[in-house]
Amino acid sequence: MRSLLYTAKMACTGKLSDGVLPILADSAIKIIALVPLVFLWRALAAQGADLGGLRLAQLLSYSCLAIMLERLLNVRTFASDWNYDGQLGDLFHQPLPVFWQIIARTAGTWLPELALFSLPMALLLPLLGVDMLPKTLWFFPSLLLTISLGFAVDCLFVCVSIRIQHASYIVHSLRFSLIALLSGALIPFNLLPFSLGKVLEWLPFGSMAAAPLSLFVGAGNTASLLAAQLLWNALLWPLAALCFAKSRERMVSYGG
Amino acid sequence: MGDKLSLRRVFGLLALYARMDLDWLLRDAKLSLLDAANGLIACLSSLSGVFLLAWRFGGVGGLSPWQILFMLGFTATVAGLCMVFFGSNNVAHISRRIGRGQLDHMLLQPLPLWLQLIAEGFLPFSGCPRLLVGLGLVLWSLRGLELSPGWFWWLSLAGYLACAVLCLVGLSYLWSALAFRWPVAFEEISSVVIDEICGPLSQYPLSILPPALLWPLVSILPAGLLAWFPSCILLGRPPLGLPELYPLFFTLGLWALAIFTFRKGLLYYVHYGSNRYTQGGHRN
Repeated sequence: MRSLLYTAKMACTGKLSDGVLPILADSAIKIIALVPLVFLWRALAAQGADLGGLRLAQLLSYSCLAIMLERLLNVRTFASDWNYDGQLGDLFHQPLPVFWQIIARTAGTWLPELALFSLPMALLLPLLGVDMLPKTLWFFPSLLLTISLGFAVDCLFVCVSIRIQHASYIVHSLRFSLIALLSGALIPFNLLPFSLGKVLEWLPFGSMAAAPLSLFVGAGNTASLLAAQLLWNALLWPLAALCFAKSRERMVSYGG
Repeated sequence: MGDKLSLRRVFGLLALYARMDLDWLLRDAKLSLLDAANGLIACLSSLSGVFLLAWRFGGVGGLSPWQILFMLGFTATVAGLCMVFFGSNNVAHISRRIGRGQLDHMLLQPLPLWLQLIAEGFLPFSGCPRLLVGLGLVLWSLRGLELSPGWFWWLSLAGYLACAVLCLVGLSYLWSALAFRWPVAFEEISSVVIDEICGPLSQYPLSILPPALLWPLVSILPAGLLAWFPSCILLGRPPLGLPELYPLFFTLGLWALAIFTFRKGLLYYVHYGSNRYTQGGHRN
């Protein structure tokens, strides 16, 4: 455990090696992305639309939290990049299981952003009238299940990129296009037409972002959301472990 | 400058890059299919959020669902044209090449830099999925809007598309000039400007924003000129009281500024070179 904490600390320090400016620039981009969404919800509320049982205040909290916790709600480890540039091979030389190293390093890189962006946002937004307190404490276990599921899904995508070799950009792009819409991070499922939300919330992507965000704003059925998250964790973790064990023999990296 | 420059030479180079693109596409059927599928899914997925909302709520920001679809088709067509003409070799994302010290490779070639940039980005085959989706959405939305526009309207559409593409690329080159001076910090500025700021913002009907936020989006950070503004004009609802030729004038001004700053940056680069490589040849 101590080794993992040191690994996370190293990753955290590495993230800060270029100073805080890159993190602040990244935060500014996230805020720019949030602005039209906020005004979109306001416009819909102003035209008296039925927001699928959600109030404007809930929508604002939902979108703000989605931006603040973006990296936790859609876990992306460095494994696919490392496979591309050859660094993934280095992990096999370390005296720790590869996957634990990936988890520790990824979690370490989250810390500066959580401290410099998410925490200040959580303190500032209530002053602007956005409620940033969870409506139920089940939000916290749901967030943990989301992170856990995110690592499993990421591992599966890494296996795909190992399998198709040297096309990691395609896998990366495909994955982010799918998750942006299907996870409910951008648009709450309640607002989608044709009952799409009902279908999406039972898919693994729906258990990633939509579940904790819905619980945070007090929307959705706690039991069914958590049950779906537990189910997908139970199914995808063994599958991810099996795929990774098979894929590591196929790993080819040129480095560079 | 070994070869004589002529229009024939330009088309010859474009044909050469088209051939290389086709060769890449035919080399591995699995990879090509995956790439095409990725282009289609990425495009549809990025556009569907706003469209689904517009469909569910009968329009948003004063635009009907079909008008929103037209705007989304316009933005996809702009992204597709950008990919087809400037997608390869990081021509649109020029800050990457500047930041990585790769401009040296171009300065050694027996062709002017501008001609290399025009030719190297050409991806007519593998770059076209997004363009096809965009054009499909534009045609579908026109059917939904029950519009049968005349030739002048189609000419205007082509003009606004060209302006939007050049505006996006010009913006990238304007900001990329910073990478000559600070290569590490600004290596990814093109992708930040194109993919992370302007691209996503151009998918919203920006009339939802208050004027204080809307004006910067048609001037300082012209994401509004990439789809929303020209779409409103083409649909007969010119916004903000600006003239219909505003995108053209803006693009010309932007390019004048971009060329000026890029040349300044290039002079600095020619004088000082790139500090990205160690003596052993590794990039730091």
